[in-house]
Amino acid sequence: MPAGARPPVWSYWIVLPSFVLLWAMVAQLLETALLPSPQSVLNRFLEEANSGQLWHHLGATLGRVVVAFTLAMLLGAVIGLAMGRSALINALFDPLLLLLLNLPALVTIILMYVWFGLVEVAAVMAVVINKVPNVAVTVREGARSLDYRLEQMATVYCFTAWQRYRDVWLPQLFPYLMAATRGGLALIWKIVLVVELLGRSNGVGFQLHMAFQVFDVAAILAYSLAFIAMVQLIELGVLQPLERRSSRWRQPEPAHA
Amino acid sequence: MLELSIKGRSFGQPVLGEVFTSVERGDRICLLGPSGVGKTTLLNAIAGLDTSIPADAVTGRDQVRVGYLFQEHRLLPWRSLLANLKLVGATEQDATRLLSEVGLTGYEAYLPDQLSLGMARRAALARCLAVKPDLLLLDEPFASLDPVMAKDLKMLISGLMDNYPDMAMICVTHDSQDASTLANRLWYLDGKPATLKWDDAIGDSFVVDGLLAKLREPEAAVI
Repeated sequence: MPAGARPPVWSYWIVLPSFVLLWAMVAQLLETALLPSPQSVLNRFLEEANSGQLWHHLGATLGRVVVAFTLAMLLGAVIGLAMGRSALINALFDPLLLLLLNLPALVTIILMYVWFGLVEVAAVMAVVINKVPNVAVTVREGARSLDYRLEQMATVYCFTAWQRYRDVWLPQLFPYLMAATRGGLALIWKIVLVVELLGRSNGVGFQLHMAFQVFDVAAILAYSLAFIAMVQLIELGVLQPLERRSSRWRQPEPAHA
Repeated sequence: MLELSIKGRSFGQPVLGEVFTSVERGDRICLLGPSGVGKTTLLNAIAGLDTSIPADAVTGRDQVRVGYLFQEHRLLPWRSLLANLKLVGATEQDATRLLSEVGLTGYEAYLPDQLSLGMARRAALARCLAVKPDLLLLDEPFASLDPVMAKDLKMLISGLMDNYPDMAMICVTHDSQDASTLANRLWYLDGKPATLKWDDAIGDSFVVDGLLAKLREPEAAVI
């Protein structure tokens, strides 16, 4: 098995239960409220789920992630495409991009809240501003690597602008968009939590904030687990099928050359 | 049909000189010349792909539909053969018929990279025909095919030209044999900057090899 490949399924069934077992043993040994046992975290999780609190806050977080992600991908793709195709636009935006890429997420969040108040628009905008530069850089790479031979073909055969985007560019950009999506989601999940912690009154980040103030570690862990489960669900249910579907045309090697 | 008045292309390689000529309906032109002299550059200029050559250098192109067989197949690798043909405007019926004309019946749903080189080139030829071209540009259509496949493709193209007598063709090749079998007119491109050293009709008894021996530089200069 090559080092980079996904480990086999059995490793998850050995490593993760062992970890839970170890956690249970340490919790048993210490007997402190600061490290609750797996059992009490699970109880807390069920409690929150039954009361509807968990779904309410998870839903709020998911909504912000979806809106921020969609906006960031659209904006970033358009900017990246323009920068990759035009030297002038690249020259104009590149210094800005450099600035934004190195701007800490926390600064954007604070500034947005200070300037626009503790409102939803400010929260989503802070996330979008953090994410757009990453998407733009990745898509720019893709736009630069577009095959000029297929461009010439599309010109000779008078493709419409829409055909060119959908049939010539999109399949070539897809791996880059996928990379931006993966990197983007991982980043956005985390920034959204910080945004919620600093200035919203619902969402997983807000709940973590409340639990932190009373050192309710069971709640922190319960919400974290719910959060991890949601991220994994999207990975397995949306991203992986999408990736499989769109790479079907790639041949491992020519059938008979 | 087409008036070429190309004033040259000075930057980049290869360098093209002045090319003044015309292409008429039914012309079957073979474009010969040493490798690297700019045959593909000239073809791209005619197709309007060379942005360093002003658009008005080729008059009449707006009225001319061009089918271009590139050296690589340049089919969209993520679309089936049928979808590739339909993308350039063919109906399902026409696309199926054209694929059968080039001997690819049964391969409609295949992806381009599932085909051999020769088959992919024939599929690309079918796409050229799908736009109902007035002018067919062929860039070394027989290169890197084995002799049998090359002969088949030659027969196919020759048959197509007989079926569509109004269509003009410009075929880049290295092989003077192709000129005698496919063409009724010969362009010989040579020199730096490259210009047409020969532009005339060729008859059946025309001995292309003898002419080429005379045209080739620097031998031509010595004689």
